[in-house]
Order: sequence, then C-alpha cells, then structure tokens
Amino acid sequence: MNIDDLQGLLPLLTLAAGATALMLQIAFARNIKLTSFLAVATLLAATLSIVWAGESAPRFVTPLLRADKLALVFSALFCVAGAVTAILSMDYLNNRGDEPEEYFLLLVLSTLGACVLAYASHLASLLLGLELMSVSLYALIAYPDKTKLPLEAAIKYLVLSGAASATMLFGFALLYATTGTLQFSAMAQQLANIDTGNITLLVASVMIVTGLGFKLSLVPFHMWTPDVYDGAPAPVAGYLASVGKAAVFVVLVRWFIASNLFRFSILIDCIALLAILSMLAGNGLALLQTNIKRMLAYSSVAHMGYLVIILVVGSDLAHRPLAIEAGMYYLIAYTATTIAAFGLLTLLSAGKSQKENIQLHDVSGLFWHQPLYACLMLVALLSLAGIPLTAGFVAKFYLISSAVSDGRWILLGSLAIGSSIGIYYYLRVVFYMTRRVEEHKNIPEAAHGLIEKFMTCTLIASILLLGIVPQSLMEYLRSILQLVN
Amino acid sequence: MSGADTSLWPFVVYFFAVLALVATMLGLSWLLGQHRANAATNVPFESGALSVGSPQIHMAVEFYLIAIFFVIFDLETVFIFAWAVAFFELGWAGFISISIFILLLGVALVYELRSGALDWGIKTRSGAPTSTLTQEAQK
Amino acid sequence: MSLAILIGILLVGGLLALLADRWGDGTPRWVSLVTIGVALVYLLTTVADTAPEYFNTTAAIGSDWITYLKLDWIPRFGISFELAMDGLSLLLVILTLLLGLIAVSSSWSEIDFKQGLFQANLLWTLAGVTGVFLAMDLFLFFLFWEVMLIPMYLLIAIWGHENKAYAAMKFFIFTQFSGLLMLLSIVVLAWQASLTNGSYSYSYFDLLGTTLNSNLEFWVMLGFFLAFTVKLPGFPFHTWLPDAHTQAPTAGSVLLAGILLKTGAYGLLRFAIPLFPEASMNFAPIAMSLGAAGVIYGAVLAFAQTDFKRLVAYSSVSHMGFVLLGLYAWNNIALQGAIMQMVAHGVSTAALFMMAGAIQHRLHTRDMRRMGGLWHDAPRMGACALFFAVASLGLPGLGNFVAEFLVLLGLFAVNPWITAIAALGMIGAAIYALWMMQLAFQGKPEELREFGDFGSREMATMATMMIILVCLGMYPQPVLDLAQPVLDSLQKLTPNIEAVVALTQVGVMDQ
Repeated sequence: MNIDDLQGLLPLLTLAAGATALMLQIAFARNIKLTSFLAVATLLAATLSIVWAGESAPRFVTPLLRADKLALVFSALFCVAGAVTAILSMDYLNNRGDEPEEYFLLLVLSTLGACVLAYASHLASLLLGLELMSVSLYALIAYPDKTKLPLEAAIKYLVLSGAASATMLFGFALLYATTGTLQFSAMAQQLANIDTGNITLLVASVMIVTGLGFKLSLVPFHMWTPDVYDGAPAPVAGYLASVGKAAVFVVLVRWFIASNLFRFSILIDCIALLAILSMLAGNGLALLQTNIKRMLAYSSVAHMGYLVIILVVGSDLAHRPLAIEAGMYYLIAYTATTIAAFGLLTLLSAGKSQKENIQLHDVSGLFWHQPLYACLMLVALLSLAGIPLTAGFVAKFYLISSAVSDGRWILLGSLAIGSSIGIYYYLRVVFYMTRRVEEHKNIPEAAHGLIEKFMTCTLIASILLLGIVPQSLMEYLRSILQLVN
Repeated sequence: MSGADTSLWPFVVYFFAVLALVATMLGLSWLLGQHRANAATNVPFESGALSVGSPQIHMAVEFYLIAIFFVIFDLETVFIFAWAVAFFELGWAGFISISIFILLLGVALVYELRSGALDWGIKTRSGAPTSTLTQEAQK
Repeated sequence: MSLAILIGILLVGGLLALLADRWGDGTPRWVSLVTIGVALVYLLTTVADTAPEYFNTTAAIGSDWITYLKLDWIPRFGISFELAMDGLSLLLVILTLLLGLIAVSSSWSEIDFKQGLFQANLLWTLAGVTGVFLAMDLFLFFLFWEVMLIPMYLLIAIWGHENKAYAAMKFFIFTQFSGLLMLLSIVVLAWQASLTNGSYSYSYFDLLGTTLNSNLEFWVMLGFFLAFTVKLPGFPFHTWLPDAHTQAPTAGSVLLAGILLKTGAYGLLRFAIPLFPEASMNFAPIAMSLGAAGVIYGAVLAFAQTDFKRLVAYSSVSHMGFVLLGLYAWNNIALQGAIMQMVAHGVSTAALFMMAGAIQHRLHTRDMRRMGGLWHDAPRMGACALFFAVASLGLPGLGNFVAEFLVLLGLFAVNPWITAIAALGMIGAAIYALWMMQLAFQGKPEELREFGDFGSREMATMATMMIILVCLGMYPQPVLDLAQPVLDSLQKLTPNIEAVVALTQVGVMDQ
C-alpha cells in the first residue's frame, strides 16, 4: 500500500472520511442545514477527487479493488447521483420527522458502498460493497417517515434481500470450492480449465444469478420491487432504483469480463430468458398501475431487462466492446433519468401535508400550475420511453445497435414489444399532467426553493444533452473500455 | 471428488437419521394420541387457570440495544486480535491501519453516547418507530 | 446552412410564441403567422439564390440537389446532421409552410386556452415535418420522424375534443410502434452496410445500393413499409386516423391530414423503395392490393359516417390509397400522379377540415344529421364546401383529378385489374362527397339557430386554397417539372424495375 494506491482510492477515502465527520457533527451539533451541507460537500469532493485519482489509474489496490477509469467514472456518477438526491430531499426532510440528520449519513454510506462495487475486482469486495449499500438502504427506507408503509417496505426489503444475499453467498462458496479463488482474473484462469457443464458450477451459477437477479429485480425475482418502491420515501426510492441497480450492474459486467463468464452458454441463455421475461412482464405489469411509484418500479424491471441484453450480446467476442459500451451508456442515461423521475415525486411530496403525492391524479394539471416540474417529468418520461432528443433514446439506439450486430432477433422483438407497451403508460402520466385545471381539485403543495429549481433545470439539461450531443461521452467510454477489455 | 464423497456419507446418513427420528416422534404421537376439537382444545394450558390479557406485552428494548452494542464491539476485537498476532510482520503499516480502525470505533461510540442510545429509560427522541407502532397496536 | 436556419426559424418562432402569451392575448397567433411567413420567404429567396439551374427546364436534368448541408454529429456511428433539398422536398416543404399558415388561420379564434403553447406546438410540428422532408441521414430522419409526433400528441391531448385521451394515445402508439420497427430496420441496414464499407454510416447516399440477402432485405423493407404505411395511412393500419382527426382541434386536423400523412408517402418514395428495390418490386403486388383496398374501403366507410370530420378522415384513407398505388406502380406517370395527389389532397382535405372546424365552432356539433340547410344560413360557406367536395371527388379541372388520373394511367400499364378496382373508388368518392353536401348544407334545418357566415379572414384562407387547386388542375406542369429530376434520379437507383419504366416512357415524352 503506497501513496499511489491511496491516490487511486481517493473517492472511497473521501467518502469514508466524510461519513466519519458527519457522524461526529451529528453527535455534537445536531443541525439539519449543516449536515446536509456537509453531506453534499463530501459527495462533491469525492466527485472532484476522481480527477486526481485518475492520474494513478489503472492499478490493482490489493487484489480486492481495481482502480481504473471504469471504476472512477461510475464512482463519479454515483457520487453525483447521491448529491442530487441529497439536495432534492432537503425540503422533503424538513417537513417530516424529527432528527432527520442521519438520513444524510446513511446516504453517504450507501454511496460509499456503491463506489466500492464499482471498484470491486474480487468476490469479497463485491459482497462488502453490496452489503454496505443495501444495509444503508434498509435504514434509509424506514428512516425519514415513521409510518407503517415505509417500515413494512424496509422489513420486506431486509428479509428478502438478506435471503438473496445468502443464496448468492452460497453460490460464491461453491464457486470457491471449484476454482479455489475469489479474485475475478485469477478465476478466469481456473475456469478456463473446467468443463462448462460442470455440475457444481451450474448450481453455483443458478444461485448467483438468483441473488444478483434479485438485486437487479429481474423477473421472476422482481416481486419486492413495487412494494419497496411504493413504501420507500420518494428520494430513497429514486436512489435505490438508479444507483442501487447501476452499481450491481457495473460489478456484474466487470466480473463477466474479467472472469470471462461469457463462455458458459447455459448461463447466457438463462440471462437471455430473464431479459425477455423482464421486458415483457415488467412493461405489462406497469400498464396496470395507477400509482406512479409502482409504475416506475415495474418500468425499472423492464429497463433492467433491456440492460442485461448486453451480457447476452457480449458473449460473442467480436461484439463485446460495442455491447459493453452500450451497457455503460445505458446505465448513465438510466441513472440520470430515474433520478429525475423520482426527483419530481420528491419535490411534489415535499409540502407540509406530509403526504406522498404519487397517484396519477396527483399530477393532473401539473403543466399549468408547476410548468418547470412538469417539464422535468415530461423529459424524464420521454427519456424512459426512448423518444429521440433524450438520453434514453441514444441509450436504446446504442443497445439496439449492439444487439443487431449480434443478430439477437428474439431479444430485439421483445424489446420492441416491451417499448411499445411502455409508451402507453409513460404517456398516460403526460396526459394527466396536461389535464385542464378545472378538471381536478386539490393541488399538491410542491417544493419551491431556488435550489430545487436549479436542480430541476440541471437535470433537464443533462438528460437533453446526453440525448443531443452524446459523442464525447461515447468516445470517452470507448477509450476507457478498451483498457478494461 | 470421490475421496470427498466417501468422507461425506456419514453426514448424509446423520441428516436422514435426524429427519427420520423427528418424523417418527411426530407421527407416533399423532397416531397414538387423541383427536378432540372442543372449545378448550386450543386454549393455552395454565394449570386450570384461565389466561388473562394479551401476551404481546411491550417491554423496554434497552436490554436488546445494549446487547447488540456489546456484540458489535466485541466482534470488532477479533480484528484487533488478528493484528496483534501478526504485529511484527505488519509493522508500521499495520499499526496505522489498526489505529484508524480503533479511531473509527471510538467515533461510533461517541456517536452512540451523544445520540442517547446508551441512556437508560425513556428516549428523548419523539415519534420513534416503536412508539408509533404502540399507538397503532392500541387502536 | 440555409436548411438548418429554416428549421431553426420555426423552432425559435415556437419559443417566441410560448413567451408571447405574456404580452397579450392575441400575440402568439401573430408571432406564429409572422414566423411561418418569414420561413416561407426565407425558403423561396434562398432557393432562388442558390439554384437557378435546377429550374432550368431546358436542360433536361439540372443538378440533383438544390442545397445540401452536412455536419458531423455522432461520428462514433457515422451519424451526421445531413440535410438536402431537391424538387420533391422543396414542393413538400412549401406545402408544409402554406398549410401551416392555413392552420394558424383556422385556429385564429378557436383556441382560448394557453394560446402561446398551442402556437408553439403547432410551429414545432411544422419544424419536425420540415426536418422529415429534408433529412438525408437516416438517424436524423428517424429523429425528426419521432419528434414531430410529440407536439402533435400534445395538440390532440390538450386541445382535443371529448374523447381526446383515447385518440391521442392511439395515434401515438400506432406511430411509435411502427417507428420502432423502422428504427430496428435502419440499424440493421446500417450494420449490413458497415460490414461491406468497413465503417458505420447512416447517410442515405452511403446506404443506397447496400446489398442484403433477399430474406433479410424483405424483413428490413417491411420495417420501413410498416412505419410509412401506418402514417400514410394504408389499409389496414388506418384505424388511428379517424379517431385522431376527429378529436384533434381544427389546426391539428389540418396539419395531420395536410402534411403528416404526406411524410409517410414521402418516406416510401424516398427511402423504402429506392433502398430496397428488389424486395419492393416483389412486394409491389401486395402493396398495390392494399392501396386498392384502401381506396374502396375508405370510400365505403366514409359513406357510412354521420360525423363530418370522420367522413373527411375516411375520405383521406381512400385518397391516400391512390398515393400507395401510384408509388408502387413505380413508373413515371404514376409517380407524378402520386406526388400530385400528395399536394392536392393536402390542400383539399385541409380545407374540408377547416370547414368542419368552422361548423363545429358555430354549432357545437359535428353530427351531420343535426346540420341540414346550412346553405341557407351561410351561402359563402356552402359554396366553399361545394367547391372542396367536388375537388375531393375528382372534378376535372381541379388538382385532385389530375393526380388521380395520372395514377390510374400509370397503374394501367402495370396492373389493369387493380386499376379497374381503384377506379371504382372514384365513384364512391362522388357518392360520399355529394352525400355530405346533401346532409349538411341542403334540406331544412332541424332547429332554429344563429349561424354566422364566413368572415373575411376565413374567406381569404379558403380563396387561397381554391386558387391553388384550380392552378394545379389547369396548369400542373410546374409541379411536374419540379418533381421530374427527382423521379429520374430515383428511377436510376432501381434498375430492376426499369423494364416497366421503359414501357411507359412514351407517356413522359408527351408531357
């Protein structure tokens, strides 16, 4: 462990130090303003530290963590997402519950877990990051709002997620039994000598797919998603849906590449099946919802279905770089969009009524009394639906390009069907937002601070920019992924 | 693999033996016992006295909290033991690492102390999850 | 650059109209009117500046493109911001802007809710449609294709009539799903081309002449065909159209019928057939059958309607069937007829929708059974309606007749039987058009009512459209000349069908 190693880990160290400082600050001087300021500052400092950390990348910092550009890019994404969540939830927290300061502490810890996942190059660090992120999330879900629904959501998530982790851990143990290592790249050498039909490996992969499928909420491991999103406070649900999924996916991709899991065709077929089920069932079930949070939950199931297509495409070495690139772009676009969509729900629920305004009729007429927030929702929904000029379209285009080059027609067909179903339920929200003011009665009280307006504009701008001028990000992702591949 | 197979079979036998034993006990008592469905069948047996009140009594959770803290801090000492065993091999790097570790434990302790987690009695924090549940249970 | 500026004018105009709401109640519509006017003038002056040789009809074929613009956009996939204009695009862009003016005029007093946003959406729709007619990069084309739907969706969803939610959603889902299939096709095509060229490109010019194996070519062609036929709309994908037209506000109907439908025809002519000549040739009998079915089916259903707007909507299905027939006959005369039909139908149907809007604004109903005797109350309105009704049924001397006649003439050389069936549609047109006149304007009014005739603004708009139709009918040559170089170059791209072209080349010489 030398100074260069520490430099590579700078974002993680910043977050850890920030969390410690937050804890002390809360202990000695409880003050919501100060805490939120410190938390945002920590997250932004961690983001900035990535510039400096990049100078020593790529390198292995102990066998557990690999500090390369991929890890740094996604750490930056998670830190920014965390900061945006923190800023958007200030008003929300101010108006409910007492002593909400720990919320920010938990948020920083959860981000730290997500960043560890981005760095992980070893099953131990994978588990460590995953648990750090998830455990903080259990608490985050139940913390701000002390009513029955969030508590139920937290316990449901805790129990089910615990079971999934245990299953996954068993899978890791079996994997260790066959290969004798937990390190991704070392595992590749061991796996190369093992027949792909090895029975222990098959059992292990079933267990691991179950565990990770749960975390990514792929059908049929998606049951928890709508309930937990529905019960969780809006900002936490947004964070869970974006960072919680993206971090798991990043580590999954890294593991697949480093250990060359692509050569296990049964595993790939299995993932393809999960993808098809998720795309169709996710979109189909989203159609039935009148609660926007539940709708977004099912939509996130569908989006994860789209996303895992790239693992299937990546099984062909010739198309792997394009597939991975597409996946990474999709993740970034998805994170920005999801944060924006849930951000709107946060802003709408921030009022003094302490009620979560998440039913379809809560947003009716939003265009006329909150045009800026309505624009945010419009842009986010269009991006989720994959309409041009938004980040979601470029991401979907990328995904389709990679899948076409590999000739995955069944997956593409499911994607087309799923997306068309998706358009209906996304647009239904838009339609409610455009209803005339006379047609509904109570207008939810929304956050109206300057900083919220500023964040809204930033989110709109970032989704549009990702959709209109994607070239530089594409080139950057391509250059860093050449090193990873 | 075959060596592992032979060494594992006693466990398999044991596992099935346990299953068989439990199944036999339950099965026999069901076969030999009486089957009645009277009004009093499902009432808890209290030596003839009728039970009074709800069994769901709210107790202060201080015991539980303190116990959990003890377990956590006790567990952390495992790492200190591991460091102490390899003290000379780890050298200064190890020393710095364990210092940071202990420092973090200290911060956590301070946090607990200041946030009132170690206070005995009614907590200052109002509207905590337990109290909400209590209210709801009373309704 | 001028083409980008043209689209830019419309986009910025939309933004200005949105802001203009604060400056006064009537300002947005003036902003909108001025914007379209400026765009039109700008278009004509730049065209006159940059390409006089294109119009030089003595030289048989001028340069293929009047103006051309290419900027790198996403080089990662060989996507560029590529706009180009030839005679066909020019014709359709002029039509777009003209109908834009008419749409503004028709919504002058109808809209009282959020005028600024209404005009903004109207202008953005125009910008999107203009982009569709100019884009030469398939990715860019798809982008405009999808983006123009959003303001259109909002127009229907916010300012529509009683059943707007259903209509707007149906419209959007039909077009989006088919659009998604087209996106898949575009990506497959570009990927196949990249295998031979070695690098990605979405440029129309790079993708022309890509060889696919015939099975793949069929499926890819089908993706394009579906997207364009849904928009056209061809039978049996037309079911969104009556709902969308009926529920849209007048300006929305005018834009939908006048220009949005034309993007489908344009797409078939510019992309679907030239990119996949062989598959299209094999598919032509099916496409022509669908076209003929559309002509008949649309006419029959139009006759069964009691709702004024629905009747006009079904007549659109019937008329656009002729376009499909003309396109897939793929010879010079039929193609000229199809282009002519696009323009003439755009104008005449827009006028009929405006008429429907005017009646609804006054009577608050579209039910023709409750009209009757309108001629007595509003003779000017009746005269206009009669003019456009007979234009729609194909009275010689007006644009629609020229168009349908050319299509049938060209089609006869290819498939006499389908021609015979399609010609029946013209009889159907006469029946439903006159039926409509009879129900709405003749007879006795069922109830007493106050009914104002057309004012001078409305009469001016109507007169403009009448003049256009008469000019098209009496002297169609300029339009034919404008389109001819385009057709020549398009037909050069599809040598496989040249045998048919040669058969009918004689007819071209006569013109």
